[in-house]
This record gives sequence, C-alpha cells and structure tokens, in this order.
Amino acid sequence: MADVNITLDGKKLTAPAGTLLIEACKNAGIEVPSFCYYPGFSLQGACRMCLVKIEKVPKLQTACTTVIGEGMIVTTDSPEIHQARKSMVELLLGNHPLDCPVCDAGGECELQDMTFAYGAAESKYIDIKNHREEQQWSPVVYFDRPRCILCYRCVRVCGEGMDVWALGIQNRGVASVIAPNKEDHLECEECGMCIDICPVGALTSGAYRYKTRPWEMKHIDTTCTHCGDGCRTTLGVRRADTGIEIVRGDNRDKSGINGDFLCIKGRYAFDFVDNEQRIKQPLIRKDGRLTPSSWEEAFELIGRRFAEICGREGGRAIGVIGSSKTSNEENYLLQKFARVVLGTNNIDHHRTGDFPAFARALAGKLDATASMRDVFKAPAMLVIGNDPTNQHPLLAWQIRNNVRLHRSRLYVINSQPIKLRRQATAFAHIPAGSEAKLVALLAGDDSVLDVLVSENTPREALLSLRDRLRGEQNLVIIFGAELRGEEMARLVKVGSAVSGAKFVCLGDYANSRGAADMGLYPDLLPGYLPVTQGKTFREEWGGLPDAPGLTIPQMVDAAKAGQLKALYVVGANPVARFNIDPFAFAKSFVVMQDMFLTETALIADVVLPGANAYEKSGTFTNTCGDLQLLRKAGEVTGTKPDFEIIVRIAERMGFDVRKLVPFGGGMWADMGQSRGAQSGEADRHSVWLEAHGLETKLSPFDPMAILDEIQRLVPGYHVSRRTLLSGTDQHTRIGGPGILHNPELIVPANDDLFTSGTLGRYSRALNSVLENQRRKPVETEVAAD
Amino acid sequence: MCILRDIAAIAKGMSVTFREMFRPTIVENYPKGPGPLRGARFEERYRGVHVLQRDENGLEKCVACFLCAAACPSNCIYIEAAENTAEHRVSGAERYAQVYNIDYNRCIFCGYCVEACPTDAITHGHGFELATFNVSNLIYRKEQLLAPRPAHLGANAVFNRAEVEGGAPPVVAPGE
Repeated sequence: MADVNITLDGKKLTAPAGTLLIEACKNAGIEVPSFCYYPGFSLQGACRMCLVKIEKVPKLQTACTTVIGEGMIVTTDSPEIHQARKSMVELLLGNHPLDCPVCDAGGECELQDMTFAYGAAESKYIDIKNHREEQQWSPVVYFDRPRCILCYRCVRVCGEGMDVWALGIQNRGVASVIAPNKEDHLECEECGMCIDICPVGALTSGAYRYKTRPWEMKHIDTTCTHCGDGCRTTLGVRRADTGIEIVRGDNRDKSGINGDFLCIKGRYAFDFVDNEQRIKQPLIRKDGRLTPSSWEEAFELIGRRFAEICGREGGRAIGVIGSSKTSNEENYLLQKFARVVLGTNNIDHHRTGDFPAFARALAGKLDATASMRDVFKAPAMLVIGNDPTNQHPLLAWQIRNNVRLHRSRLYVINSQPIKLRRQATAFAHIPAGSEAKLVALLAGDDSVLDVLVSENTPREALLSLRDRLRGEQNLVIIFGAELRGEEMARLVKVGSAVSGAKFVCLGDYANSRGAADMGLYPDLLPGYLPVTQGKTFREEWGGLPDAPGLTIPQMVDAAKAGQLKALYVVGANPVARFNIDPFAFAKSFVVMQDMFLTETALIADVVLPGANAYEKSGTFTNTCGDLQLLRKAGEVTGTKPDFEIIVRIAERMGFDVRKLVPFGGGMWADMGQSRGAQSGEADRHSVWLEAHGLETKLSPFDPMAILDEIQRLVPGYHVSRRTLLSGTDQHTRIGGPGILHNPELIVPANDDLFTSGTLGRYSRALNSVLENQRRKPVETEVAAD
Repeated sequence: MCILRDIAAIAKGMSVTFREMFRPTIVENYPKGPGPLRGARFEERYRGVHVLQRDENGLEKCVACFLCAAACPSNCIYIEAAENTAEHRVSGAERYAQVYNIDYNRCIFCGYCVEACPTDAITHGHGFELATFNVSNLIYRKEQLLAPRPAHLGANAVFNRAEVEGGAPPVVAPGE
C-alpha cells in the first residue's frame, strides 16, 4: 500500500496507508497506553487510554481506532492528554478493589503500571465500592468481578482467536459484566488465553493461585513437552526442598512460534513433574519386588548384565525402545548406544506418523516442508484427516488466525465434522477410512467418486473442491496419520503439481518427528538413511551392524521365543500402548527409565528415575520440523536426565565413553542452560571463558556435546547454532532417502485437548478438568462447537 | 607550690568522683538489671527482631504479598503463600503465609520490610539477643516471629480447626 506522511510529536514519519495510529506510534518508538487495544483482534475503543491530540480535530481521539491519514499532525503527550489519561485511570479505579497485595496479577498488572505512570493516586470518588464475591468458573479459571476494567480482551481472544465464544458481556454501560457461557461456569477448551491476556487480575489461574508473585520466580523459556506442535512456554520456577519447583507456565515473551497462544497442556499440565507418584530412587527387582537401591548398584547390575548378554549372544539378543518425548540428543545417543555399544539394530519407538515415507516422498525436493510460521502466512491450506483443534492446538490456532487475519482459504477434508470446518472455504465430509480414495480423486481418478459421495458431500462439491485446489498457489498441505506409505507419496505427487506447495506430516508427541529424524528405527539410521547404506556413519562410528533389526512386535515375538534376553526401554510405555502380553518378557532382563511406575514397570527388573523435558537441556523438533531449544527449568532431586543414564550404562559396560559422546573442548559450549536457573556462578564462569576465547569444557553428560555430531551427520540439521541457542526456532528440512514401512506399526496417540499420553494421567490440572467435565450432565448443545 | 597544685588537681578530680558516687546510676545494668529485659531499655523506634502482628480477631495480618521480600536489600525473607479456606483460616484476607522465614544471618535491620508492608503485618520488636552457637538457629520461622494471641480472646483461643486437631503451637516470645 502507498505510504502516508504523518507528524508524530514533531517527528516526520511515513507509514503504510491503513496503519492504525497506535501502531504507527509504536513503530516510531512512542508509547501510547491502552488496555482494550490488542494487536490482531477487533477494535474496541473501550478504555479511552490511548487518547491523543490530532490537529484540527476539536476533541482528543483514540489512537487505537484512528487510521492514519496524509498530513496528520499528532501529539501524543501534553498536559491535556496527561490529564485525560489520569482521569481515565481514576475512573477505572473507581470500583477497583485495590487488593494488589493479595491479587495474583500484582507486579505484572497493566493497571498498576498506568496508575504509576499517570499518578492517579488520590480519588474524588468517595462512594463505597461495589463488592462481589470471586467466582470459580472452571478448575483453572477464577473471575473476580470488581477487578475487571471491561477491556473485553478476554471476550475477543476467546471468540475471535480461539473460536470458542465462551465469554460474553451481560448488561450495558456501568452495569456491564463479563459472563461465562454456562451461567456460573465455563464450558470451553480451558486454554487459559483469557487469563493470560487479562491486563488486570480479574481472570486468574487456578493452578497458580496464591502461590507466589511474578518477581519471585525465575522465568525459563523452553519448549512444551505435550503435543507435537512445540509451543514455546515460559516456566516460572523457584527453589524448593526437592530441587527446583515449576510454579507457572505461560508464554510471557510471546516470541516463539506460538506468539500469544498456549493450550491447557502448555499452560497448566507441567504439574506432572511434582506428582507424588514420581520415582525418585532407582528400583531393582529382588525376590519379585521392586526395592529401592542406589544408582551405583543399579548401574553396576545393568552394565554387568548387558555386557554379559552382548558377550554371550551378541547384540541381537537385546532390544531397545526409545521415546517420542526425549530430546533429539538423547534419541541420537540412544540409537548410537544401541548400534555401537550393544551392536544391534533392534531399536524402535512408538510411531505416530509415517515420517520415513514422508522423507521418501519428498526426496530431492527442496523447501517442500512448511514450518509452523509458514502455516500462519500461507494463502491457502488443505487439511486432510486429523483433528488439529484437539490434537494440534497450535496448528489449529495458526490456521484459524491465518483465515481470520489474512483471508486465506482453508480446505478441510475429514471423516468427522471437525471444528476447523467453521473456518473452511470448503469442507468435504468423507466416509471414514476413505482418505486414500480422496487422494486418488485429487489425482484425477473419477471412479472413486461413488465411494466418497454422501448426503453431506455431493458429487459437485468434491469436483469443485478439486478444481479450486488445482487453481491455488503456495498451498500448504497438512495431513494426519490417516495417510501413510504409498498413499502419502501419491498425495505429495498430486500436491507438488501446485506451484510452491509445502507439506506438513503430523506426528502426535512432542518429539515424534525428532525421534524419527534421529533414527529410532530398526532399519533406518539418523536422517532416514537405510542401515545398508550407512557408509558415513560406519566411518564415523567405526563399525555398524548391517542387518535391519527388530520392530517392537518382532521384539515381543523374539522374547516369547526366548531369543531376546534383554530389553531397554527409555521413556516409553510399550506394554500399555501396544497391549503387550506382560509375560512375553518374563525371561528377559528388562530395564526401564521413566518418571512413573507405568504398566511397563510391571515387567521391569530395573527401574531408573528419569527426568522429563522440563528438567534437561537439548533440542526438540516439532511436527513441522522446527528445531527448538529445551532449557532446564525444574529439577527433582534423585532423578537423572536420560542422557546421563545412557552414558553411565555405556561406561559400566566397559565402553570408552569418548567414542560415544565426543566431549571436551573446542566446541560451542552449553552456556549454563543445562545447569539450571539457580547456578548463576557456573553460568557466569562459562560466559567469561567464552568471551575471552578460552576453551569451555563439556562433560560427557552434556547434551550439547553431541549436538555437533547431529548437525554434521543428520541432513537438514545444519542450522545456525547461534540462532538456536538464542532460543529462536529454525526449520529443518526432512532429508535422506526414506523407506516404506508396514503402515500397521503406526499407532496414533489420539490424544485430545485434555489428555497427553502417560504424562496426562499424572497431571492434576488435566485430571481436575476431566473430572469436572464428567460431573456435568450431558447436554445436547455443546458450547465450544 | 608544685605539690599544692598537684593536690588541688587531685582534689578537683576526686570531687567529681565523690559527687557522682551519690547520684542515681544512669548506665544500663544489662544483663544484671531488674525485669524480664534484665536492665535493657529501648526507644520505641528501636529496630529489633521482627514481630508478625495479628489483627483484633487474632488472625494474622500477613497476606503473603511478598513485598517485604521484594524490598529486602539483603534478601533474607522467604515466604510460601497458601489460600485460606473456611475450615482453615489463618489471615484476614484470601491468602496467608504458610511459611515465613527471616534469616537473621543476613538481616541488616534496615526496616525496609516494615515500610513496604501494606497491611502493617511486619513490625520491628525489641528483641536483640540473637547470639547463638549454631547459625541455623538464626533462621526464624513464622511461629517464632508471630505476636502472641491478643489477651482479650483468651490464652486458649482456637483460630482454626487444624489447631484443634494438631494442638495449638507453643507461643515463642520474640528474641528467645
């Protein structure tokens, strides 16, 4: 758009036509206060804080609703404006209870800041304040009505941003009040966006309620460990008797791929970390009972047994099951441990998306994968299968807001009437399991129409959908685990006909994509390289088993046949997930490392207490392939990160640890992230060394020590380390030749908004919300949809 | 002459001594003086060991707002907040301090915490006998800092159900 000349406080500026005055001021570095204005939402003009003087306009104008015009001369601060704003604050404080010492927003309250800035310390209003009792709207949302300043941010974020419309306004004028959709409680997605966006303490969080104050916490930005979207979450931590306690989760700096957004899991479900059922001591099975023991004893036993089995029967008698919730470094280390130390390719993990087939389909194509940021910018999007609103909340947010703010076109093809259809330009409701047929239709095969046509989706609708898709450009195609193997390859072929098309293959867990990229497959090395072609890795590691190993079902069969003598499970729960007969491993030596005594612990001979992603440093790759940093936030005494445990087991087996982890100097060092929030001294020491060009030492337990090797050997991971360490996400392309697998091995997690695999079972916040939902009578009308 | 002058000087000096001998003592006879403070006397404004005050109903005034901890230049105040319930009411507002520790190893008795307190909960008492052989004794817990229950409510007044079940905690006088 054409540029417009304006004068702001005497400074001559140009800005694109159509810019709001408040945004123009912000870009020019002039702060105009506001409560009700929030970028990305509809304009309200309710709070009157952003009043500015525009020349030739008799009255003060609201900067948030004024669009700049040619030759506009604006004053943003003068005694008159100052007085107007002071009066506004005074009015807002007219019924505000001033219980700041008790209020959870105290210290990060915008009304406090404004009162300080405009000095409305005394009030002309002597009437008694109108007090109302605080209400609990849901297990995680509290509403204190007198504190509300009626900026309507919560109403807009809930409706426009989340498309839930659970909050509204009752009454008019001074009697206006924010009201939940179910009279006295909320029925919604419990995302907590309204709490985060509230400028005062009217909406507060049930999980963080009265625990501490914002300035008392350290704020560590890390990556969420729940679904595959990889939201940036800022954890507020403080010291506790048992290490470092996580008190709050939010997205304070709004700089990650998720911007303003976090769902209930990112915001509240960090609380599994201090669940009382957490294991804090290694357990060894003695006389059929898991008995507490020391780390030394456990490592000694595991090292001895693994070395014994390897020596007697070779590595093929040991199976390794990795996790989709451990970091890239740990996954890489685990498969290296299996292949180099144990000498076996028997390594697998719980697969939730067909990434090897995706790599194969995209082989040779550059820039064919979309990042999470691309989804927000794309002019058109096609979603096949999955239910992003429930399984990929951030992706759904990006799609919704892309449609809302950029008027992009969304095409949804699903066997269920998923919520995203409300934003869709076209929605094709197809019979369950016919996604592959639909791909055939898109490819031009009209013979499948009979199967796809239904009452809701007539023949013409499907054909016009195909025509419209063919006419799109820069289309982002997002598909779930419904499409696998050959069908996925076919979709990629069809999609690639659209110029600039990009793809997203959805995996369900926080690091499902990373686990796949790092080669937790019996037949694939890191970077989707078949084990038979692993020349670079063979040279790097000095030897590698050639034959593909066993998948999880094959491991079970081998154990039943008595061929699998040991099983090493890292952060996974295969017994529950694959419904394995617990007696299959009766004769095997089973080692498990996890946070809780899951179903798999029933068959374990040694259980090691592991740390979760909030308690370690490393990197995660989200389902789109965005690489992000994990920073250590919490700590629970007695547990160890999986990385350290794997290294220690290798050491006890008599393996030279330097061959496993290339630690030492000469590399980019961890700048203190892995040592936690509280160890300021060590961090400063490291920074000082770095600043003076001196060698920083890496320990064999430092995940950063292996990141170099990953970046060197795994295609797509050559991203800037500096940018990564600064906390910015970077897109990795999917590389390597890939392979076609048996599609039956993919088991989607099928989590919804309030469940998160094994972790979700131990989260108080998620359980309280689920329990609350169960208590309510089933109604025919559902608020959120 | 010389001797006379010396005698006069001594006599002059001794006169002060003998005059003062018969006047009442004005120095503090601490720690051998009378009363519970063993002879020590204080100005009202003296900044001694803190006292956490109670309101007229015997409830704690502290609402765990952390402003004292924020104001503290030596970072010696540690608080954990919790929510009052109908069964377990500790303070007059919605929240109270579940844990309130002052580390007297670090406290410099500057009084900033007292100034910062929005509910006048923390005040300086006159306790000063802090010396101990074990530094961990210098971390005072809330029970040690709390003011005694107001007399008009009776020494056995019970403030919440938890105290009925657990027995009332012993009241420790500040400074002991």
